[in-house]
Amino acid sequence: MSDKELTQRSAWETVLASLKKRSLWMLHYCTGCGAVELPPTMTSRFDMERFGIMPMVTPRQADILLITGYLSVKTLKRVILIYEQMQAPKYVVGFGSCTINGGMYWNSYATMKSLDRYLPVELYLAGCMPRPEAIISGFNSLIDRIDRGEANSWKDYYENYEFYRKNQEHTFGDIETHRSIADDAQYYGFVEVTK
Amino acid sequence: MNSGIGLIVWIIAYPFVSFFLGVLLGGYGRKLTARVQRRVGPTWIQPLFDVIKLMTKQTNISHGYMHDVAMMMLVGGTLMTMYFVPVPGFHYFSQFGDYIVVMYLLLVPPLGMALGVGQTANPNGSIGISRALQMLAGYEITLVMTFIGFAMKHGTTSMYELMKLQQAGGPATWGIFAEPLLGIAALFALQGMLNEKPFEVIIAPHEIATGPMTEMGGKYLGMMFIQHLIALPMELTIFMNLFLGGAQSWVEYVVKLFVLFTLVLVVNAVYGRFKTDGALRFFWKLPLPLAALGVVMIMANGM
Ligand code: SF4
Repeated sequence: MSDKELTQRSAWETVLASLKKRSLWMLHYCTGCGAVELPPTMTSRFDMERFGIMPMVTPRQADILLITGYLSVKTLKRVILIYEQMQAPKYVVGFGSCTINGGMYWNSYATMKSLDRYLPVELYLAGCMPRPEAIISGFNSLIDRIDRGEANSWKDYYENYEFYRKNQEHTFGDIETHRSIADDAQYYGFVEVTK
Repeated sequence: MNSGIGLIVWIIAYPFVSFFLGVLLGGYGRKLTARVQRRVGPTWIQPLFDVIKLMTKQTNISHGYMHDVAMMMLVGGTLMTMYFVPVPGFHYFSQFGDYIVVMYLLLVPPLGMALGVGQTANPNGSIGISRALQMLAGYEITLVMTFIGFAMKHGTTSMYELMKLQQAGGPATWGIFAEPLLGIAALFALQGMLNEKPFEVIIAPHEIATGPMTEMGGKYLGMMFIQHLIALPMELTIFMNLFLGGAQSWVEYVVKLFVLFTLVLVVNAVYGRFKTDGALRFFWKLPLPLAALGVVMIMANGM
């Protein structure tokens, strides 16, 4: 960890974080059965919008990528492409035990077991499937982490891209993505510029 | 506020005032919709949080030069239109431009959007733009028709003059009571202009993934939000000046804005969405003939 991360946040950053946490847009990529718990979370019964969390429909606009359930090899590839289209800061939330360790598909030949080898996961919601209360409490802890300035897992993707890339290539062979993450990381100053 | 230092201060302050009003209206809209759907809803200034969040995103993908310029055109065009619409205490520019100018300038933001979205090369975006231009053929013709009616009746095309005439005559001479046919037609057109349901075919999140906004992220989407928030009070004000006698004080102005917007929102909250051709057909079947009838009646009275 560099010295920069240990220093205190400036007052401006603190204020900004407390404003930014009030608006989070979510792209829910409904890969598995868990997605059925989302409609009640969004609508009248549990009403996610009171925390400023809204469903959005394209990756460009979204802040949260919610992955609701098991990932087959095919869908994981799409998830990675979607994730790379999102604008930082961006948060991946793994939803249900399938994203944590494979869940009840542990023995399956077609699903991936652990999401955090491929993408930097900010938060896991455990359960098979998590109830709306669990989703809301999970989002609240995400909001708290943003407020405290701790929700920085997305930086990991820029800083340790080799690790994720290696795992992705291990699974898919040579996978073609649309942007060069290493170039982006240097362009936006997330890593030291190498000459 | 129409000469000297006051004018300059007001020219600088007006976009911010308008943005602030837009934030309040937008937040009110989301709250009211939530209450109609029996939800708690977000805070009253939620749009402000959204804009701050978008403008402080750390990566922003540009699709090219036109994509950047289009955002300027979008916000710039809206600001320019805004100055020509008289509000209480500020009508300096409206003496140089009547509502024909306003109608003309209202077309700049959609065209800017079309150029920018064209460069992003997203099919959903292109569909959104073609829908936006189709909808223009629906509500703009209706609006122009009502404007023609007023121009024939009062012999003026100045929005400010029209407002003054209505204020002098009292509520009975307000456009919506004096010419109810034109008023009803324009209410439909307003619903279309604000892109609310049942005419929300441009954004249509479940069909074409928010249309023009599909490829916009970060600061680009932020600019679109700012444009939307500034345009919201402006478009309501155009209707207010023509049909509700404008406003003489800021209190009256804000009250009328919110009442008018509530009307739009409750319709928005309970209706589904037309298909594109359905929306266009509706506009040409009901509001346009109504407006035409209103114009014919004005002509008959004038003879
Ligand atoms: S965690 Fe359970 S509910 Fe979620 S996708 Fe896996 S099996 Fe389905």
